[in-house]
Amino acid sequence: MTAFLDERPKPVRSLSRFLTFALIVVIGVSGLAARLFYLQIVDGGRLATLAVHNRTVLEAIRSPRGLIYDRYGRPLVTNVPTFVVKLRPSDMTVEQRPVVVDRLAALLGMPAADINATIDGNPGSTFDLVRIASDVDVPTARLISEAGDDLPGVEVDVEARREYADGPLMSQILGYSGPVSGGQLATLKALGYLPDDLIGKAGVEEVYETQLRGTYGSESVEQDASGRRTQVLQTVTPPKPGDSLTLTIDTTDQQQAQKALIWAMKTVGLKRGVVIAMNPQTGEILAMVSLPTYDNNQFAKGISNADYAKLLNNPDKPLLNHAIQEHFPPGSTYKLVTGTGVLADKKITDKTKIQTHPYLTLGSTRFYDWNHMGFGSCTIYCGFGHSSDTFFFQMAGKLGIDRLGYWAKQYGFGQLTGVDLPNEVPGIVPTNQWKQGTLGDQIFPGEVYQAGIGQGYDVVTPLQLINAYATLANGGTVYQPQVVHDIVGPDGTVVRPFAPKVLHKMAVAPNVLRIMRNAARNVVLLRHTYNLVDMPIKIAGKSGTAEFGTRDSKGRLPFHSWFVGFVPKDPKHGSFNNADSQLVVLAFAYDSRTKGNVGTEIVKYFFQLHFGIKHDYRLPNLLHRGNFYQSN
Amino acid sequence: MGVIRAEPARVSDWAAKSVGAAWRSYDLQLTTYAGLLVAIGLVMAYSNSLEGGAATFSRGLMWAAIAVVVFIVATVFDYHWLKTLAWPIYAIQLGLLIATLALGDGVGGSARWISIGPLAFQFSEIAKILMIIVLASYLASREGRLDSPVPIVGACLLVGPPLILVMLQPDLGTSLVFGAILAGMLWMSGASLRWLTALALAVVAMIPIAWTYLLRDYQKARLTDFLDANPDIQGAGFQLHQAQIAVGSGGFFGKGLTNGTQTQGDLLPVQATDFVFATLSEELGFIGAIVLFTLFILLLWRVLVAGWRSRDAFGTLFAGGVASMILFQLIVNIGMVLGVMPITGIPLPFVTHGGASLVSVAAGLGILQSINIRQTRAAW
Repeated sequence: MTAFLDERPKPVRSLSRFLTFALIVVIGVSGLAARLFYLQIVDGGRLATLAVHNRTVLEAIRSPRGLIYDRYGRPLVTNVPTFVVKLRPSDMTVEQRPVVVDRLAALLGMPAADINATIDGNPGSTFDLVRIASDVDVPTARLISEAGDDLPGVEVDVEARREYADGPLMSQILGYSGPVSGGQLATLKALGYLPDDLIGKAGVEEVYETQLRGTYGSESVEQDASGRRTQVLQTVTPPKPGDSLTLTIDTTDQQQAQKALIWAMKTVGLKRGVVIAMNPQTGEILAMVSLPTYDNNQFAKGISNADYAKLLNNPDKPLLNHAIQEHFPPGSTYKLVTGTGVLADKKITDKTKIQTHPYLTLGSTRFYDWNHMGFGSCTIYCGFGHSSDTFFFQMAGKLGIDRLGYWAKQYGFGQLTGVDLPNEVPGIVPTNQWKQGTLGDQIFPGEVYQAGIGQGYDVVTPLQLINAYATLANGGTVYQPQVVHDIVGPDGTVVRPFAPKVLHKMAVAPNVLRIMRNAARNVVLLRHTYNLVDMPIKIAGKSGTAEFGTRDSKGRLPFHSWFVGFVPKDPKHGSFNNADSQLVVLAFAYDSRTKGNVGTEIVKYFFQLHFGIKHDYRLPNLLHRGNFYQSN
Repeated sequence: MGVIRAEPARVSDWAAKSVGAAWRSYDLQLTTYAGLLVAIGLVMAYSNSLEGGAATFSRGLMWAAIAVVVFIVATVFDYHWLKTLAWPIYAIQLGLLIATLALGDGVGGSARWISIGPLAFQFSEIAKILMIIVLASYLASREGRLDSPVPIVGACLLVGPPLILVMLQPDLGTSLVFGAILAGMLWMSGASLRWLTALALAVVAMIPIAWTYLLRDYQKARLTDFLDANPDIQGAGFQLHQAQIAVGSGGFFGKGLTNGTQTQGDLLPVQATDFVFATLSEELGFIGAIVLFTLFILLLWRVLVAGWRSRDAFGTLFAGGVASMILFQLIVNIGMVLGVMPITGIPLPFVTHGGASLVSVAAGLGILQSINIRQTRAAW
């Protein structure tokens, strides 16, 4: 055997390479030993002292979040102590994690996949607590907190959860507060937010986050390596509770608005609708209902992924506040802008008579009046009262697109109202400049006609529209709509009193708006709105039917219905010569397609409820659907 | 040299006959040092188990038992077959890593473990030893041609796929071990210095690219946190900070087993795993740590000796790979605890009770013993 072996070529191996390798071993290990010597012997005394004292850390004391009241002091949200299950990922070994997650899933009755997703989506480091479940019931919380070593890294905390007294009724105004998301944390950390913190996420909870949150305090606590506190040593700075908000919202009005809207939506089979009530003298929003909506308590308790997906995927967008976060064509309600414009620019007076026609012709296109007949020779009172399209086509032609746009902006269209709610959209007021900028073309004469009756490129939010009519009702002051009346400190002192915010005063003579108010009253008097005139209160207003979308096989378009109405300060005996109205109400019905104007019926019902009118003036037979007959 | 007289005659005769092994070349020193290191690991696991539940210690014992079986099987197995089986082994290695990516569990969206019954298996640990086998066989069969760049590039291409698969898990630490194994084995293969220098320069040139495009933010943070003079001791720097306090407070003689206030007081969150050296140096002090270092140096010495004595290039290269792996993990793991290396989650060979790591090094040492005892084998 050795003989064979000796004949084998010896493998190429270099002693120098072996020795170099050995040298690296020695150098490497010596380096470690040197560092160890430094830590243990040279620096050992300092570190040994640290070992004794390092258990003390500063921890945040959460400040109680401010409360929210309606305009009469009715509490809309309270802070309820609830059990929250949190988990510190670094406390589990990898082998333990699936076991812990499965046990937690069984105990909490939620899918393990959700828990894993929450842990992996944790914005902080693995040493930070992750909120797994909120609003855990007492028996489950007890089971989990007693599990101890069987559920390493899992803690049960007491946390104040928001409980919204009215749930869906106020969701679009109040919003909700929920866990800070990963994306937010990066910027919020500097403001003192913790990875497992809560933050206002919609509505006034979001807009007034700073005031509601207050200022967190700090305390020095003794804790173990896992960050579990073992003892509180002292409070370093006490927390400063958040301020409370008093809303401009009147819960009764809000309930009545919701009731009126739900009635109409059920009767017609509507998918989306909006009702807003405002005080035109101050810009205070008394009620704002957008349906469908969501239950903010679901979010406050920690919404499940499945429920959240259901809300997100709903085609009628219940998470959106349709009153401000979506825009729609205003239809004939926009004739207010055209009418005000021609009067103010002195193209006509209130005595000027204009011949209305069955249709106007531009090139080869006919622009029909809505009744295909016209209304004879008409003043502005008659034209606005009957909502004659051919009347306003001609008015728009007299004004031109840029003056029309000017007056739209005077009423506050095409810009944010600045309401203290998040994610408002500005709408569009078409002008030559706008069309050049967006579509790269000029405005055509037919488009001017369309713009004059609130079709074509015009889009507005319901809040912009009611604010324009509020401006008409108050004699020309554009207010910034507000939902928060005042802010009250924890000790009850008013931190920020209510003050109406004037955006601007319209550059128009008071007389012009008086004419338009009386023209709006004429809408009711001429029975364009059926029996609204029979009610024991004086209403002025304007209906709108706004086509949108795509034509059906018979060339008909689906349409939305609008109505905006206001009453004098003295609803029974007042006059629209005065600009003293304290209540303007808007209803918007998305894709209504009803025979009569459903918006009018909603506003009518709201007035009945609001003024306690016993007789029922509603006309449900006008609400049959599928009739594409249009009445502007 | 650790050469011992033959074991009881019947066993060695049987073994010698069946596999053609010479048991008097068996390196008892190598086995002894490794055994002592494993024993230290078990003692530390026991010390920790007093606080955190007996599971740590009993699981450690179970893995040690598995490792002994693997070691014996690897010793008895004729390592020459490994050269023959190199390509199937490479396929198995890739298969294990792909399976891990597809089926594995892990922390924070990563896929590192495959659970088989009660055991969570980290296949990337097994893949390391398989990589050494494959590389040793590849380079050995190109002996004498290593002054050209082709086999060097070939070796890099072999390491590429498993390294990328491990990086995808994502396990930056283990993929660096693959790099260290490649570097060590190329060095031991006698490949031309010129080309090795060129390769090293290419790697250095790649670093900015990898930094910008390949590494995720948290990986960068881990790589640089240890350089930070004022780390966020409440966040990711917590463990590091606590580990150094643990080590420092151990002093010269240590606080005695089970007396570590840092590690026993739960101040060090994962003392049982990658930070086991912190427990050891707190409880056994500088003396205990130096004993550990000495054992590692002796062990690496015996590994290199096995490589030197090997009559075929495979043995030399295999020993070089095992030595590189152990050395790299030793320096990076302990360096991490001592705050001079980034946190990478590389286990301390033999001592960390992480099961697959121990089984992997046990297989490596078993093959080395197989190499040791088969140096008189005929050349046919």
